[in-house]
Amino acid sequence: MRPYVGAEVALLATAAALVAGVYLVAVLDRFAAALVAGAVGSWRRLLVVPLAAAAALLVQQRRTTERPDGAGWAVAPALFFGLAAFALALVPLGPDLVIADPSTGFVAFSAAIAFVMIAVFLHGWSPNSPFALHGAYRYGAAALSFQIPFLLAMLATALPAESLSIVDIVRAQEPAWNVLRQPLGLPLYLVVGVGVSFWGPLNLSDASDVAGGTSVEDSGVARLLWTIARSAMLVAVAAMGAAGFLGGWWGPILPGPAWMIAKTGAVLLAILAAGHLLARVRIATFVLVAWAVLIPLALLNVFVSGAILL
Amino acid sequence: MIAGPLVDATFWVFALGSIVAGYRVFRTDSMVRAAFYLLASFAGVGGIVVLLGAEFLGMVLILMMAGEMLIMAIVMVMFMMNPAGLNPMVMVHQNRRAAVAGIVAFVALAAVGLLGNFPARPVPDPSTATAELGTELLGDSMLVFQSAGVALLSTMIGAVVIAGRKGRFGVAEEDSIEPSLQPDEEPGR
Repeated sequence: MRPYVGAEVALLATAAALVAGVYLVAVLDRFAAALVAGAVGSWRRLLVVPLAAAAALLVQQRRTTERPDGAGWAVAPALFFGLAAFALALVPLGPDLVIADPSTGFVAFSAAIAFVMIAVFLHGWSPNSPFALHGAYRYGAAALSFQIPFLLAMLATALPAESLSIVDIVRAQEPAWNVLRQPLGLPLYLVVGVGVSFWGPLNLSDASDVAGGTSVEDSGVARLLWTIARSAMLVAVAAMGAAGFLGGWWGPILPGPAWMIAKTGAVLLAILAAGHLLARVRIATFVLVAWAVLIPLALLNVFVSGAILL
Repeated sequence: MIAGPLVDATFWVFALGSIVAGYRVFRTDSMVRAAFYLLASFAGVGGIVVLLGAEFLGMVLILMMAGEMLIMAIVMVMFMMNPAGLNPMVMVHQNRRAAVAGIVAFVALAAVGLLGNFPARPVPDPSTATAELGTELLGDSMLVFQSAGVALLSTMIGAVVIAGRKGRFGVAEEDSIEPSLQPDEEPGR
């Protein structure tokens, strides 16, 4: 059995990572938007505006719909946030600095990603509202399409490690990071990772072309919780990308955890900037590309990585 | 083995949660709710399997059930006249037979669980358990099974492409008809 940290430490560390991560997403998103627009403005404004927006949502009046599924509507953001916490707890900051390192960490992370489908579908279905349901169906179609390339891209990182544990996967990247050994892996993972947290170009389920999709009926605290949960999942996806493909804690001079945090920040910035630089893709095109292009590429990635190891 | 009061408490949360969710499957009035209660029940069982030391099996159970239940819910809603499965409907039929079958199955399984002679061999280390499970299930035929898996996956993708809107013979709503198998016959025969 691998060592686990105590329950209190695990709770506190995960909570701290989530709070810091969610705030970082909010700030970086505005920073990326300002950068793309060409005027960054004052840092103080950049740091305070997300807090002000959150405070405004806290005092906003709650709306409801006709005959919603109240329990499902309330559970969805909590489930989504819980899955993000679960996924983030699996990512190691250093060789001995990890909240949970199960021997099947990769499978556990994939299970969390798969369960996001349920959270988003529940969130879109329960308000009893057409646009929200439309968003939920969109996420179902998109998620079922990117699950397989996601699993295959992550699976290829487990090959050189000969283990499903995330710590072992990072440890095996000492000679060369996976981004160099498996050049297809990181792009595939990023496409899918953006899809999982439906951000930017792959924001199909909460998109403005369906009036806000699954969150169209959300207001006040519920909207704030949903935004926080989405941001938290984005942090988890970015952290796992840094661990699985960018060598995790490996790096010169700086200590391991600093490298891990810097790499997570870099992946986050890349994803958030893509949200302001790239147009949203159409769902039909995305599903087609996922099945006809991403799956073959991901299989190729697995075969080539396996062949090199043999 | 992992043990301790926290593990025991987790077990009871999963076990009771699974039973309550399983009961709710039959007491709810909506297809989607029933599917999600069933999923919650399965996820609880998956958690118990993880606690037993079969990490891989438990996690895969949860991973697979998420996609499966979502597809099931969507397909069931598609087949109904009820736009989102939110209108109340009766979800049970043949109540008496179902109750008898359910009680018989429960008593039989409980008897096996209580009276069965299970080997008491705790798993020493779940990380080796995963590898042993793979060897036990597939043995030397791992490569054959994996190749068959990839072949099946491409077959499924092909089947979906052919059955899709832009099928083999043109766009579905633009009067596409399949060609005849005989050279001189009209298409669509």
